[in-house]
Amino acid sequence: MVFTPADAEQFTATITDNIDLSRRYFMLRVARPEAMSEPKAGHFVHVSVPDAGRFYLRRPFSIHDCDATTMDLLVVELGPGTQALRKLRAGDTLDFYGPLGHGFPALDGKRVLALGGGVGLAPLYFYGFRTLGGCSDDYRLLYGARSREDLFLDHVALNQDGVKLATDDGSFGFQGNVVQLAEQELERVSADMMFSCGPTVMMRAAQELASKHGIEHFVSLENRMACALGACRSCVVPTHHEGPSPYRTVCHDGPVFPANDLVWDALPTP
Amino acid sequence: MSDTTITIGGIKHKNPVFIASGICGYGEEYSPLIDLSEIGGVVTKTITVRPRKGNLPPRVHELPYGMLNSIGLENVGLDRYIEEKLPLLQKRQADVIISVAAETEDEFIRIAEAFSGRDGYSGLELNLSCPNVEEEALDHGRNPKFVERISRIMKDRIGDRSLWIKITPNITDIGEVARAAEAGGADAIAAVNTLVGIDFDLETGKTVFTRGSAGYSGPGILPIALQKVWECAHAVSIPIVGIGGIATVEDARKFFLAGATAIQVGTVLFSDPDLAMRIVNALKEHPEWITQRAFSKERRIGS
Repeated sequence: MVFTPADAEQFTATITDNIDLSRRYFMLRVARPEAMSEPKAGHFVHVSVPDAGRFYLRRPFSIHDCDATTMDLLVVELGPGTQALRKLRAGDTLDFYGPLGHGFPALDGKRVLALGGGVGLAPLYFYGFRTLGGCSDDYRLLYGARSREDLFLDHVALNQDGVKLATDDGSFGFQGNVVQLAEQELERVSADMMFSCGPTVMMRAAQELASKHGIEHFVSLENRMACALGACRSCVVPTHHEGPSPYRTVCHDGPVFPANDLVWDALPTP
Repeated sequence: MSDTTITIGGIKHKNPVFIASGICGYGEEYSPLIDLSEIGGVVTKTITVRPRKGNLPPRVHELPYGMLNSIGLENVGLDRYIEEKLPLLQKRQADVIISVAAETEDEFIRIAEAFSGRDGYSGLELNLSCPNVEEEALDHGRNPKFVERISRIMKDRIGDRSLWIKITPNITDIGEVARAAEAGGADAIAAVNTLVGIDFDLETGKTVFTRGSAGYSGPGILPIALQKVWECAHAVSIPIVGIGGIATVEDARKFFLAGATAIQVGTVLFSDPDLAMRIVNALKEHPEWITQRAFSKERRIGS
């Protein structure tokens, strides 16, 4: 049901731009290596922290967009690793491997409501704008943030049909959180499937909404990763699977999971 | 090409560079990034008789000079390993050392008998001291009598394959355990496993891992690992496989100087998967580094 697993390789790519989106968010634009296999929505890359000077694990980023020549990574500055990535400029190199993981499922004619928060926008944006060529009532992208400033409207073409925006303070779009917006949207036009990606608290609320409406729900998780290949078993999350181990890797079994498979009480937060 | 072949327990390996246990699972997962047929060998994730689900997450914690792990020996268990995983590594033409752990002598015997006579691996590495498990019996690698006994039991059963004993650094006298393994007939000492470490979350006021103590690895442990190899090299005549904190070709060289015949690269491969091959290629250019020692074997500390 999910897109076939990615075909990973290691690359040293050239940064073509580093775009400041807001106080904490930025977009790393990279020249797509020719040999890189075509990613699907929900795949990610595992990025080396530049100018390390100390030990760093790589940082995983869902691919926000990717065409024949360019790959975009949406990043939020949270700690020393992302701080170092923020300093990269056009002409610098980025060491990454990917694409990795299992992405979102094919639509098969189903109508999807996609809910995003924070950097969770990335795989949902990819699906709507790249995979499908645009959003509509068949794939509605709902994105929520604290206020207008966090919507990066000057850089990311979110203000258009098929995309609905929510701000906690009401400074743009719907006033409230993205799950409340989703509830309203479902009253307007129903959906057969829900995708969500963002803070755990948001995905948990989305799961409650999906369950209430009997809608199939797929989530894309994140976690701290070491190998990002499914080998080291560091990034596991608990699931309801029977058998010797209930744990599944976010990097390889995921990052996309059927929401019902997950033990929500035991997921890492935020 | 220069000869980088080394021999341990009568078994030739194409070069002295191995991937440490726990890094690349059962080997298959890393094949897009590392050509397993070009490195000296791969040590598998530790297998136990029964499958283990491993510890409650979180399981990894980054630190400035390394990382803490609390995986807890999650593995598919002996039967599924033999059925599903061993054939995958054979396909990749990897030179395989299987890491195994057990709680009782009977379990060790069962493991040895399961592998005895099978193809597809060069040797067994006994993991006698994982710091991340509840079961005390899985951490008996500090008991020299046990180490000697289990070495003999396993070596008797695996015949022409080599037996490596992986020793913990969390010990007062590593030489004593190394001598016990040698006396029991082990073919090599693998030194060292992770150091026991801990970290606290200042916001929650709790340990970062549920189990508290965990295994510390990465560049920060290099001086300690080197010293443990140095100590072992002065205590025994059998080969030492040096492990711990290798992040550069220079670090690898230091393990040979300390007395190692071969090395394992681990944690740094998460950030720098290319390192293993860079070490292999450097040794092809300078095979003399493999036998260069900082001491002459005649000098023995404390013996």
